[in-house]
Amino acid sequence: MRQISIRTIVEGKVEGKAIVSTTPISFLGGVDATTGKITDPENILFGESIKDKIFVFPEGQGSTVGSYVIYGLSINNVAPLAMIANQAETIVIAGAVLAEIPLVDQPDENILESIKSGDIVNIDTSKGIIIIK
Amino acid sequence: MYLTKEQENVLNGENGEALAKLMHLLVKIGEVNNANELIPIQSAQIAGVSYYTVGDAIFSFFKLLSKDNVKVKVPSWLNPAGMDREKWKEMNIEDNFVEKQFKIIQEYSKMGIEETLTCTPYLIGYEPAYGDHLAWSESSAVVIANSFFGARTNREGGPSSLAAALIGLTPNYGLHLIENRQPRVLVDVNTDINSLSDFSAMGYWYGSNYGGSIPIFENIKRLNLDEAKMLASAMAASGSVPIYHIQNITPEAKNVNLSEMDETVIFTDKDLKKVYEHFNQISENVELVAIGCPHASIDDLNMIRSSIKDNRLKDGIEFWVFTSKKLASTEDAAAVIAELEDKGLKIYTETCMVVSPAVRKNYRNIITNSAKASFYLTKEDRTNVNLLSIGEIMEVVVE
Repeated sequence: MRQISIRTIVEGKVEGKAIVSTTPISFLGGVDATTGKITDPENILFGESIKDKIFVFPEGQGSTVGSYVIYGLSINNVAPLAMIANQAETIVIAGAVLAEIPLVDQPDENILESIKSGDIVNIDTSKGIIIIK
Repeated sequence: MYLTKEQENVLNGENGEALAKLMHLLVKIGEVNNANELIPIQSAQIAGVSYYTVGDAIFSFFKLLSKDNVKVKVPSWLNPAGMDREKWKEMNIEDNFVEKQFKIIQEYSKMGIEETLTCTPYLIGYEPAYGDHLAWSESSAVVIANSFFGARTNREGGPSSLAAALIGLTPNYGLHLIENRQPRVLVDVNTDINSLSDFSAMGYWYGSNYGGSIPIFENIKRLNLDEAKMLASAMAASGSVPIYHIQNITPEAKNVNLSEMDETVIFTDKDLKKVYEHFNQISENVELVAIGCPHASIDDLNMIRSSIKDNRLKDGIEFWVFTSKKLASTEDAAAVIAELEDKGLKIYTETCMVVSPAVRKNYRNIITNSAKASFYLTKEDRTNVNLLSIGEIMEVVVE
C-alpha cells in the first residue's frame, strides 16, 4: 500500500481500478463521449474504455471544447469514476466541474510511475490523499 | 477566493442548476490559478461553434443550459462556424453537417449571443477599450485585444468564455493583472518585415521557439491592424503566447523595463527564410488559394483586388477568401467583393479554412499567406501548403 498527497480540484471519495494514459490526453478527438472508449490511435489505451475506472494521465491537451466531451461522458453514463492528473489544466478542470467527476492533481510524486493500469486506487479528497492498494 | 453574497447564492443553486455549474467552473478555475475574486467583464468572444471542431458532445451541454433558459450578461460574440450559412452547397458540405451546424448556432443565439461568426470582432466595430477586462477565447483575438488594444483577457477556452458570458464575470488572474503582462524575451528584428506573410512567419517563428514567454519586439517601424493580426494569430497557434509588445508602437510597451529581460534574441533573414522553407511543400498542382486567416479586413480585400490587376485566375485553381458577414455586407466591401467574384474568386463568410471541413476534406495542395492556417492545415498528413505573400500568390495563380 502506498499513499500519495494530492491537490483537490473536484471533491469526492471513490475506489476503483486505474487506467493509465502515459501521454497527454486530448478529450476532443481522443475519447468517444458516447462509449467512453479511447479513439486516438496514438494513445496506448486505444480501444479501451475509461468508464467506471480511475483515469490517470499527465495532463490534458488539445481543443478547449474537450470539456464538453467530459460532460458528455457523464450524461451518457460512461464517465470515469475519478481523474488523477500530474497537472490539471482548464480543459480538464472545466470538464470535471461540469460533469461532477472527482479530480485531483499535483501529486507529490510522478503519478505515471506510481500507478499502473489495473492497480486499485482509493481517492479521498477530504484527507487530500490517494492510496494505491 | 472571495465571493460576494450574491455570487455565493448563484453557486448554491438559487438561480438554477445551469448557472450554479457555470459559477462553479469559474470559481474552480479561479482557485487553481490563485485568483482573489471574480471581476466584471465588458464582453465575451466564444469559440466552440464549428460542428467540425465541437462534434456532438456539445449538445448534451446545451440541454443543461436550455433547461434554465440562461442569457448572456454582457455583449457576446461567436467564433466562425464550419460553413457559410448561405453558400454551404457550393462548399460541398454534407446535409447532416448543415443541420447540426444550424442547430449549434441557434442554441448559442437563444442565449443572446450575437451570430457574428468571426475570429475578428475588432474588425466589425467591437474594438475593446484600453484596460477593459474581457473573456475572449479565439486565440488570435486574445492576442490582438491584449497587445494592440491594451485590453485584458486570458486565453479562455470555449467553456470558460461561455461561462463568463452567462455569469458576466471572470476570475481575476493571469493577464488581468499588470505584473503578468510584462515581456521576458526581447526580440531584435534584424531583417526587413514587409508583407503580411512576413509578419505571420515571424509570429510562427516566435511561437515555435519561445512559445511560453511574452515577447517585446524592437526595430519594427510600423504595425497596422492587419499586420498585427497576422503576427498575433501565428504566434498564438505555434506557441501559447497571450500578448506581445512592440517598442514605440503597442500601448503597454512604454511601461516595459528592457533591462529586466530573461533573454535577448535576434530575428534574422535566415530565421524568416526557414519558416517559408518549412511551409514550401507544393511543387505542382496547386488546387486552392485560401486567404482570410484571420478573417479578411476591408484593406485585405482591397489589396487582393489591386494585386490581381486585370488578370484572371488560371483554370483549375480555386481562390477562396474568408471574412465576416458583417464586414462583407458593408457598401465598400460589397463593391470589392463583386469585382473579385467577377474574376472567379469565391468569398465565403462566417467560416474559414481552419474550422470548415470544406477545405481539408476536398483539397490537398493549398497556398495561403497565413502561417496559422499553414500550421493547422498541415497537421493532417494529406495536406500540403505553400506560405507566400499575396503578391507571390498572384504570380502563381493568375494569367
